[in-house]
Amino acid sequence: MKKGKIAMTITIGIACFALVTVMMMQFKVVNETDITAIEDMQESELKTELANWKTRYEEIDAQYQEVTQRIEEYKNDEESSNEASQLVQEELEQTNTLLGLTDVHGEGIIITLKSGEDISPITADDLLIIVNALKFAGAEAISINDERIVNTTDIVYITSGSFIKINGQRILEPYVIKVIGNQSHMESAVTGTGARAEELKTLGHTVTIEKDNDITIGKYNGEIKTRYIQ
Amino acid sequence: MVFIAILIGCILGAILGLNAPMISYTYSSYLAIAIIAALDSVFGGIASVIKKNFDLKIFISGFFGNAILAILLTILGQKLNVDIYLAAIVVFVWRMFMNLGTIRRYYVEKWSDMIKEKASKKDKDKKQEKQEEKTEEK
Repeated sequence: MKKGKIAMTITIGIACFALVTVMMMQFKVVNETDITAIEDMQESELKTELANWKTRYEEIDAQYQEVTQRIEEYKNDEESSNEASQLVQEELEQTNTLLGLTDVHGEGIIITLKSGEDISPITADDLLIIVNALKFAGAEAISINDERIVNTTDIVYITSGSFIKINGQRILEPYVIKVIGNQSHMESAVTGTGARAEELKTLGHTVTIEKDNDITIGKYNGEIKTRYIQ
Repeated sequence: MVFIAILIGCILGAILGLNAPMISYTYSSYLAIAIIAALDSVFGGIASVIKKNFDLKIFISGFFGNAILAILLTILGQKLNVDIYLAAIVVFVWRMFMNLGTIRRYYVEKWSDMIKEKASKKDKDKKQEKQEEKTEEK
């Protein structure tokens, strides 16, 4: 009986001990939280704030993704437009080449004409006919005394001064016709029977034809102006 | 005897509790409900001592079991978003008052008995004195 009573007393004592220990700890915590109540409030506010920011972050992230995608699209567009502009550039270059606005080089022939003595000199008509024949034979670029033959080129004989004007420039003998094209075609266009160069030769003019695998023909130096083309 | 044990326990507990490290605020609600449960158990124990039906096993199992159950209920309540701990507090406090009532009644009865005894003793003394006086007069 007495043993049981002692055990009971000790048990209740221990229980009280544990209870008061935990109670004191709790008191301390509650005290501390009272002091830091404002901070706690802020903490909850901060939590809400944080949640808000998180949502905003997500929104902005979505926007960012969208914008990135757009930039990608623009880049693609740019690339394709780059391709387009490259094509346009190529076309432009080709057109310039055809128009004679660029220096060109390639295989072809050089025809040198010199009037013979004591006979009527070579006329603008002779040059015109030769150029026409060369064009017919597929000449790609022609120049006479480094005056490029373009589609606005005039080859005229000025009677008052007895000289030839090409592109408005006075040219003198000897006439050096450079032409780029298939060499044999070019040659046959000027040396075949009935061809003007051959006729000139028989008339007593000096006509020399040489083949060259890399002739350089300068560009047209004038300006191509259009005033009436609309 | 029991009250000395309670007193010593309380003093030692206070000393240890004040020197114990801080616990996180997050767990303080669980701790609070555990304290209420333990307090109820202690009062129940004291009441049973007075009633002379104290059982060590019941006391210990009640002390820990109630505290743990209360904590678990609080956690469950938080998970369900229902304030179950309020129900636990109501039950524990109600039982605390019941136990306190038992203790109080016991001591009040004891005290009133003591007073009655003293009064009857005094009466007896007075009667004896009077009798003695009477005998002296005679």
